[in-house]
Amino acid sequence: MHITEGFLPPLHAAAWTAVSLPFIIASAWRVNRLMRDQPQTKLLLAASGAFAFVISALKLPSLTGSCSHATGTGLGAILFGPSVMALLGTIVLAFQALLLAHGGITTLGANVFSMAVAGPWVAYAVLRGSRWLNTPLAAGVFLAAMLGDLTTYTVTAGQLALAFPDPASGMVGSFIKFVGVFAPTQLPLAVVEGLLTVVIVDFLREYSGDELRSLEFPPETFAAEARP
Amino acid sequence: MRAIDHYAWTNRWRDRHPAEKLLPAGGLLVLTLLLPPLTTGPLVLVGTALATVGGAGVPLRAFLAMLAAPAAFLLAGAPFLAMSISFADGFDLHFPAEGARLALSTTVRALAAVSCLTFLTLTTPLVDWVPLLRRAGIPASVIELILLMYRLIFVFAERALTGRRAQAARLGYARFDRGVRSAGLLAGNLFQRALAQARRLEIGLAARGYTGELRVLRPEQPLSWPRLAAGAALVGLIGLLGGLLARGWP
Repeated sequence: MHITEGFLPPLHAAAWTAVSLPFIIASAWRVNRLMRDQPQTKLLLAASGAFAFVISALKLPSLTGSCSHATGTGLGAILFGPSVMALLGTIVLAFQALLLAHGGITTLGANVFSMAVAGPWVAYAVLRGSRWLNTPLAAGVFLAAMLGDLTTYTVTAGQLALAFPDPASGMVGSFIKFVGVFAPTQLPLAVVEGLLTVVIVDFLREYSGDELRSLEFPPETFAAEARP
Repeated sequence: MRAIDHYAWTNRWRDRHPAEKLLPAGGLLVLTLLLPPLTTGPLVLVGTALATVGGAGVPLRAFLAMLAAPAAFLLAGAPFLAMSISFADGFDLHFPAEGARLALSTTVRALAAVSCLTFLTLTTPLVDWVPLLRRAGIPASVIELILLMYRLIFVFAERALTGRRAQAARLGYARFDRGVRSAGLLAGNLFQRALAQARRLEIGLAARGYTGELRVLRPEQPLSWPRLAAGAALVGLIGLLGGLLARGWP
């Protein structure tokens, strides 16, 4: 769910950029160090970022008939961890704005916060939690991807509510309004994305054990389990 | 995406210095955000359309096609900006006059802002921004990452399309559950290939003495002050007109 260029009032756009900036800088610092210590990660990250972009442009089979796209938020967080996702997500979102006019430059900060910061952190936390509780991996992955997606959607609705409070019932009213507007497309989409992520992770565990192990950063929980 | 990239590389203003395009686009974007949108927005739209179609020689159809997707999103959202709900006594839904004004001005503002972005996207290949990023103090390795990603996106997109076509030809998307499975397999396959490609690239580059930076020659794009001034003048003119119109001129 991208907020279109110019949709947010200037003050809000600037504020969200300021909120996202520390996350992006911290992530850039970490990625920079990763690339210096292990030069091969640069190509790995580039391939992963390009993959995330292509996946986000992939049309999903949808239940409601509306055109829906994957966000890749959950998958990215599961594979690379949220601290790397902030920078990768920012670059992907900037590419979407500059190559597809999808999203925008002034709203980049708001979009980064919902899609590259909040979503991945929730997805990652859910996955860690489910590993800790020893639930089956598929259930954890499904929940992580679905809840990551729903978080993105709720945060976006919140951002819109903050920017456009309802004249009668204020921010609460407009939050309900925006959540309601997008629910018919976003709820099924989140479920589909969850299912899709399970299929992807299953496939990768089956056939790409080596590659997963080469992704040494965060997902120890997951890579250690990959079958040989 | 291919069409957009095609125009970005082949339009008449391709060889102009990126700052000459960034200044008017950025200036108009700022005007759109700061001035009252109902008067400035249409002027900005006309200005960017003229610059893209008349100046850079991009077909009007491409310009409009690119505006169409955000426009659809905005039109779908406008009624919800206009309506107001309250819970004071039960549930109440009405359309106040100020809501309609907010919806109209937000839609016009966003559309004008998107047109600025569209102008930039259709006239400037992404690679041209790299020197500006470098000047903005982004670390060299992150810029390198951006460039590699840009290249790989097109490679992977090609593969995704081919794979999807092959799956569709084998009825992979005939039913919903099959569709989910096919999309998952496609994505998984793509990721596996992406990692394999990364490894091959890494070995190939290492064999050629890669130390973490790809140095390439760029065509020279001298900055033309007259053109820069013309861009600034356009922004000033639209800003002045928009501001005057907003005050009820003439």
